[in-house]
Amino acid sequence: MIQMPERLAGILLAAGPGFMPERASSVAEGVDHVFGFLFWLSAFFLALIVALTVFFVVRYRSRPSRREPEASPDHDNRLEVLWTAIPLALVFVIFALSTKVYLEMTELEPGAAPLRVQVTGRKWSWWFDHPGGKGANQLHLVAGRPTELVLASTDVIHSLYVPEFRLKQDAVPGRFTKMVFTPTLPGTYPILCAEYCGTNHSTMLTVAVVHPDQAAFDAWAREGQGAEETLVQVGERVFAEKGCSACHSVDGSPGVGPSLKGIWGKDRKLADGKTVRADENYVRESIVKPGAKISAGYDDVMPPIPLDDREIQGVIAYLQGLKEAP
Amino acid sequence: MTHAEAAVPGATGESYLDHGRGIRSWLLTLDHKRIGIMYLVLIVVSLFLGGIFAMVVRFHLWNPGGGLVSNDAYNKMFTLHGAVMIFLFVIPGIPSALGNFVVPLQVGAKDVAFPRVNLLSFWLFAAGAVLFVATLVVGGLDTGWTLYPPYSLESSRGLGILLALTGVFLAGFSSILTGVNFIATIHKMRAPGMGWFDLPLFLWALYATAIIQIFATPVLGITVALGFLERLFHLGIFMPEYGGDPVLFQHFFWFYSHPAVYIMILPAMGIVSEVVSVFSRKPIFGYRFIAMSSIAIAVIGFLVWGHHMFTSGQSKWTNVIFSFLTLLVAIPSAIKTFNWLATMYKGAIVLKTPMLYVLSFFAIFGVGGLTGLFLGALATDIPLHDTYFVVAHFHFVMVGAVMIAFLAGLHYWWPKMTGRMYDERLGTASAVLVFLGFNLTFIPQFFAGVAGMPRRYATYAAQFQGANRLSTVGAVVLTTGLVIALWGLLASLRRGARAPANPWGAASLEWTAASPPIHDNFAVPPRGGRPYDFGGLRLVSDEAGWVRAGGEGA
Repeated sequence: MIQMPERLAGILLAAGPGFMPERASSVAEGVDHVFGFLFWLSAFFLALIVALTVFFVVRYRSRPSRREPEASPDHDNRLEVLWTAIPLALVFVIFALSTKVYLEMTELEPGAAPLRVQVTGRKWSWWFDHPGGKGANQLHLVAGRPTELVLASTDVIHSLYVPEFRLKQDAVPGRFTKMVFTPTLPGTYPILCAEYCGTNHSTMLTVAVVHPDQAAFDAWAREGQGAEETLVQVGERVFAEKGCSACHSVDGSPGVGPSLKGIWGKDRKLADGKTVRADENYVRESIVKPGAKISAGYDDVMPPIPLDDREIQGVIAYLQGLKEAP
Repeated sequence: MTHAEAAVPGATGESYLDHGRGIRSWLLTLDHKRIGIMYLVLIVVSLFLGGIFAMVVRFHLWNPGGGLVSNDAYNKMFTLHGAVMIFLFVIPGIPSALGNFVVPLQVGAKDVAFPRVNLLSFWLFAAGAVLFVATLVVGGLDTGWTLYPPYSLESSRGLGILLALTGVFLAGFSSILTGVNFIATIHKMRAPGMGWFDLPLFLWALYATAIIQIFATPVLGITVALGFLERLFHLGIFMPEYGGDPVLFQHFFWFYSHPAVYIMILPAMGIVSEVVSVFSRKPIFGYRFIAMSSIAIAVIGFLVWGHHMFTSGQSKWTNVIFSFLTLLVAIPSAIKTFNWLATMYKGAIVLKTPMLYVLSFFAIFGVGGLTGLFLGALATDIPLHDTYFVVAHFHFVMVGAVMIAFLAGLHYWWPKMTGRMYDERLGTASAVLVFLGFNLTFIPQFFAGVAGMPRRYATYAAQFQGANRLSTVGAVVLTTGLVIALWGLLASLRRGARAPANPWGAASLEWTAASPPIHDNFAVPPRGGRPYDFGGLRLVSDEAGWVRAGGEGA
């Protein structure tokens, strides 16, 4: 049903160079299909409105030979039903098409383990902590490998926007947000900040480098390794320095607080009977506001630990490495 | 008995413009007509002030590297452009200026229900406007009109943000009081014989608007008050460093500011309904559907604010629900559009300036509404959010539709307000230039947005230069059109022909009062009638205007 307009849209879009950016992610095609459908639908209705306006003005213009209107009804319930029902039906069609694509945009593609990158926005640059500990001011990805970006901000709201991926996600201070997709086309694509953040908002630019395969990514990741403390090392250090290990074991043995071995990504039973997924925002909350959610079987005794964003990201990276409880 | 006397029982007595002299008789007036004129002056000044800021923005963007002003100065320019245009022009423009003048006349009353509250509302608005201008004096504001924390409430900020928040608070209060007045006036002061479905559609539109003003604006007041306290006392509401949540601000802010879009557009639609009917010489088509679709828009408009946060990290199911509710707004908008078009069918269309503006409204509102579909649909909103596509979309709605309807209404009621006819040639020239200039300014921005140019950029990639230059040229044409409109209107005050009571052959009650009306509006309290019944009206001459056969007043 939407094949025809898509094809037409394709022809039109191809005709306007620089109009639509390249498609470089798994979601781009779906987005462009919805765009094409809406484009032709809108073009049709705009043409209808303009054509009727022009036709009526020309045909029914007041002129010396025609000063009075012709008799015509001042309402018609059948017409009202018609022009209520058609837009309503179209709303359902648009909603269904768009929501289907959107839900795909929020789900990681199954298959290979995702490439997880911690993204930090700050005035006015981006920082990317890649798996294996490599940090960089450019984002490095692997074509065909599902990717999960976990975004944070150290100051104000920023927004990571890659037109070629058709994706955008705000980085909000005080919480983590996520963006999932699979890059499909090797190349280098601009990353822009889309949420206004002050003086150099328009130059908060970098690039996403999509490597053709894992080997190319690994080769890049090995360059200059060891010069800086990796996120996991930050987390391990914080865990020792802040005294976390006094109450939380990392090997599954019991303590004042729950052991942290293998908790990452699992559902946790809470004292009030609810459950919560142990994800980035849960870990952040458990550190800065420990009383908010208490694990079942434990008391509310932990003091808040004031950590900065990078330290929290470090702890998360460290917890992710504490695999499966026995 | 002459025609003029027959048509205008209240023609004797001095006009409201001569009733009381001197500056005090204006500044402390309780006359809704004078308050409307004072609003009009402030609002037109704000339009041109906001326009100056816009022109700085457009000329700065002539080159990709910017260069006209510094990045910081550019950021202040677009912030003030947005804040002045939204809070001091688009929101109050039609209800406070035209509405104040027209509402009591259309219901056939002497004044609004609470004249003193009306004056208070004006002075709150004026005080808010002064505070906005004061932010310029203390160094400007670079937060964007949306005032998002943490950026807007950073501890390094001084007086500017506090002045702006207070200004918004006062302007908001003014808006609430105007809404209260209109609801009370429409409920309680309708002329004898005027039922709810005898109201001119402009009044239905303002009634729906007033509902939003009363229920949504207090949330804005609370939000800016909390922002004020957060900045001074670090309460931990919006700022993460004190334990607050910046996205909470976005929810509060858009809970008002999205319905505010309907505070802007509903009165515009009301004007379109009046003008299209009068200048087609035919009753409005589908009266009840147009009236009810205004109420539907007011109600649905409260439930769509979350579409401003599709990329903020709110849950995906929240996004899905808001997307659906947002798309629903298309339906009452479509109903209105088709009813307007059907009104022209078999009419006798007169292409005077108000009608020219309304015709351009149809195309521009069409584009504004249809591009809203791209932003209500999640899949396309994610890439388009915060790009020039959004900038173009909301300018089509707020400038294209609202400002053009404001100009239509201003030309339409100008003879009633001033007693003078504007120059039709200048009016026509302005309508054509505004239409062309507007489209040239904003159509290229859709293309820039789809190609990936984010909004609020002081500098941009070279690929967007063509679109930006077209936009700047368009802005010059648009400004020229606006200056011609202003010139034509002001010149008419000295040179314009005397306006008859009913120059357009309209059937609503304001046209049975003298032009300009006497202080008490009507010499004899009118009876409410059928506002779109043009049957008995005939044109006597340009000087005498239209009169109803049989000599009865409407």
